Amino acid sequence: MRVIVPIKQIRDPRGVKADPRRQQVTLEEAELVINPTDRNALEEALVLKDKLGAKVTVISIGGPEVEDSIREAWACGADEGILLSDELLAKADFRGAALALAKAIQKLGDFDLIIAGAMAADTCQGQLGPRLAAALDIPCVNDVYRILEVSGGKARVIRGWDEKFLEVEVELPAVLCIAPGANVPRLPHGARIMNSYQWEMPVWKASDLGLSEEDLRPGVEERGLSFPPERVRGRVSRGSPEDLARELVSFLRERHLI
Amino acid sequence: MDFSFSKEHQMLRRMAREFAEREVLPIAKAIDEEHRVPMDVVKKAAELGLLGVPFPQKYGGMGAGEIGYCIVAEELGKVSSSFATIIGAHIGIGAMAIYLGGNEEQKKKYLTPLARGEKIAAFALTEAGAGSDAAAIKTRAVRDGNYFILNGTKQFITNGDIADIITVMAVTDPSLGPRGGITAFIVEREYPGVRIGKLEDKMGIRGSSTAEIILEDVRVPKENILGPFGAGFIVFMQSLDMGRLTLGAACLGGAQTALRMAMEWAAMREQFGEPIAHKQSIQWMIAELATEIEALRSLVYRTAWLVDTRQPFTRYAAMCKMYGSEVASKAVNIALQIYGAMGYSRDFVVELMYRDAKIAEIYEGTNEIQRIVIAENLFRDFGVRIRP
Amino acid sequence: MDFTLSEEHQMFRSMFRDFAQKEVAPLAQTTDHEEKPPLEILKKMAEQGFLGATFPEKYGGSELDNLGYCFLMEEMAGACMSTALTLHVHLGLAGNTILREGTEAQKEKYLPDMAEGTKLGAFALTEPEAGSDAAAIRTVAVKKGDEYILTGNKLWVTNAGIADIFIVFAKTDPQAGARGISAFIVEKSFPGFKVGRRERLLGLRGVVCNPIYLEECRVPAENLLGQEGEGFKIAMRALDYARLGTAAMCLGLAEAALREGSRYATERSQFGGPIALKQAIQNYVAESAIKIEALRHLVEYTAWLADKGERFTKEAAMAKAFGGEIVRWVADRMLQVHGGYGYMREYTIERIYRDARALPIIEGTTEIQRFIVASDIFSGYGLKIKP
Repeated sequence: MRVIVPIKQIRDPRGVKADPRRQQVTLEEAELVINPTDRNALEEALVLKDKLGAKVTVISIGGPEVEDSIREAWACGADEGILLSDELLAKADFRGAALALAKAIQKLGDFDLIIAGAMAADTCQGQLGPRLAAALDIPCVNDVYRILEVSGGKARVIRGWDEKFLEVEVELPAVLCIAPGANVPRLPHGARIMNSYQWEMPVWKASDLGLSEEDLRPGVEERGLSFPPERVRGRVSRGSPEDLARELVSFLRERHLI
Repeated sequence: MDFSFSKEHQMLRRMAREFAEREVLPIAKAIDEEHRVPMDVVKKAAELGLLGVPFPQKYGGMGAGEIGYCIVAEELGKVSSSFATIIGAHIGIGAMAIYLGGNEEQKKKYLTPLARGEKIAAFALTEAGAGSDAAAIKTRAVRDGNYFILNGTKQFITNGDIADIITVMAVTDPSLGPRGGITAFIVEREYPGVRIGKLEDKMGIRGSSTAEIILEDVRVPKENILGPFGAGFIVFMQSLDMGRLTLGAACLGGAQTALRMAMEWAAMREQFGEPIAHKQSIQWMIAELATEIEALRSLVYRTAWLVDTRQPFTRYAAMCKMYGSEVASKAVNIALQIYGAMGYSRDFVVELMYRDAKIAEIYEGTNEIQRIVIAENLFRDFGVRIRP
Repeated sequence: MDFTLSEEHQMFRSMFRDFAQKEVAPLAQTTDHEEKPPLEILKKMAEQGFLGATFPEKYGGSELDNLGYCFLMEEMAGACMSTALTLHVHLGLAGNTILREGTEAQKEKYLPDMAEGTKLGAFALTEPEAGSDAAAIRTVAVKKGDEYILTGNKLWVTNAGIADIFIVFAKTDPQAGARGISAFIVEKSFPGFKVGRRERLLGLRGVVCNPIYLEECRVPAENLLGQEGEGFKIAMRALDYARLGTAAMCLGLAEAALREGSRYATERSQFGGPIALKQAIQNYVAESAIKIEALRHLVEYTAWLADKGERFTKEAAMAKAFGGEIVRWVADRMLQVHGGYGYMREYTIERIYRDARALPIIEGTTEIQRFIVASDIFSGYGLKIKP
């Protein structure tokens, strides 16, 4: 069985600094990390490796620094990693990325599952999975919380739907988009971390994928950013529920709100 | 001069940090209040290779060197001194003694399960009459054919209650003193005659175990002599050297957390119409502390680099321990003062950090001993031999 | 300049020391480990007349002066800091404030019970938003007929869980800042008065410290202490005197630490002799002794100024600032002298270390004390500084 996990390297949302007064967002000081739901996706793939012996291939697109995230995914247990990178690919938006990834996956040959994160925590579009499925003409199941079984050319999964959960059966090959919180992503083992730069990573360019500059032209233009209105800072209290209730009542009374 | 960490070490730091925040931080307060050792979390750490960080992969370790070990110690130290102590005693002195002094068979038999975290190590040197004066130990090892019979009581042994493999220093020839008269032995907890005595009730690091280990006619095979016969003093001095460095790294972690918490509070807490961060008293404390932490960071990682490049490091390791523990104590003291009355309350974590920090100035060689080690090391270059 | 103590002072000091060593010290570890308030000791103190020692005889006291009070605090702190602080807040803060500011009727009503120990006292000033910035309190007091209705929360009220009589500060004029504050004597039994959950502390574990909640608490108008608007001055006066007592507690606790460390150094042998032979240990002991001696003189001098009726605000702040810092330093060094044993809960120095850490914070942090001193000095140059 072969499972492909596309991952995205993003700036750690926790390290992004927002300055409403200067209407500025500083990304550069935030660490580069694997997109959180992609880690959930990788975890599902690694579980299939543990249970069914699946071969897990991680693939990512971007500048040369993306190599670090692929090697980290390898350290977690992936069998191989491929980087799609050149000047064009580094600037691709989600449409171009989906196209490039589809081409790369086709180049890899047969596969059973593509397991992706439902959404990137920086752009929050959630378009990659469906676009990949469309480009490869295979089914896509979104918001997957659990993979119950993979056998006989089919996968049975639990997905979210409004306020319910649905059990879905899908024919393989297929794309599964994993929901945030579906699992607890494993951490890489230390020895594998120390060995993660010992192997040669294949790097494919746009030309290797048969893609032109026109193919990878961004379809969306970012025009600017604005901030939500500033909230007044609150106060943190502590104590037993009785104490807190009293304090809250006093607080509200002081301000003649009750 | 390249001050950056390797990619592998950067990845290791991310892993250690996430492990610490995910698994250790949520229980840090509870293990203090409940006075228990979180063996379940130790097991999870073992599964990631965190119980064998510096040891070569062929012995089941991570192969990350002393730099890697300092990184892990720092990240754990940021979150829980108790947890950092458990790991520190296990890797830093317990298993380290076997790594530095053991032969191939001993490393295969003992170091490998320790590095994998399948077993826990402790380092048994201290006795009631032998604290700073380690050479004054009285535990006796008498030859009996292919065995040595060990008798004695070890005190204040970290991990004492949870250890499977204990490195024990015993007197093999009372007439020779420390040079030639002390031998190191690998003792298994299961050997008949090994008993855990008193479990200490400590001010802090209450999530770690500190115990009395009693040896009553314990038969230890001669194959378990660690290092050359009679050279036990050297084995334990070398282990302590290494352990000192990483204790400094753990203190670096703790100091940073204290600094961060102090600043968060100072930025939020308003008195006299503005955040107290606007007060110069606060600013001076923060600026001076931050400077010392930077100095400590450079000292720790440069010393780790000296170890990994096989250069002399004894003096610097002692500096790391002495300076690290004093900076950490200063940091928690400042954090507590900035928090004011809240800092004195057991509802907040600052007082836990305050209680935990103090022990670092005392164990693994008091800071007085560290000063002697440093001075002794320095004065040697001037032809003066210093004794404690 | 005559440094000898009067016979009366010597007598008081001996009496306090004997009591502390016989009745208080033996229970100190239990008080700490079991977090039990020292109620039995307070009863015995009442029998000795300590609980109202500063009051005039007609209220059950012995008119103990400031210097005598310092001896009382010093000796008690040297035996058990939790007990000393409990006594200090009851007598030095609550009792003395009523004594200093109260009408005859108020003193008649409250002081005898406080001296007998049937009612203990507490002092409620601090609030969530008002720690060092005491003028920022938000508790309000609205006059309604012959009552004041108090609404608000107080934090860190030492003795709250065991006291019946509270000196509470509230704003009768919320728009007037510090000058809008008034002081009240509030009894636990007044309607609308609630005591919250006991604080769990690093040290001072025998002290009972709680938040209190005033939910339209009805206080009779005759319980107004002093005049409306005088509350801030009353609080500052109370704290001036109390500061001196706290500095004396620092002295006693530091002395206890030094005793523990020095004795240990002579008993513990390493490297062929007692560790007292090591110069590093000698330095710790000597430095501690020097600081303690300097503190002693500062405390006694300040008490002398106070007893002469002279202004002593700056000196009290100096004594508290210095005392808080050195007691922490001495306790730290003396724990270090103990080595690993100092970290074990069976050893007295472990408790002293934790208790000592409170002193740079309570009753005005060291930073606030420094401000008071600087403020006093700069006002001599005509400059008024703000905290």
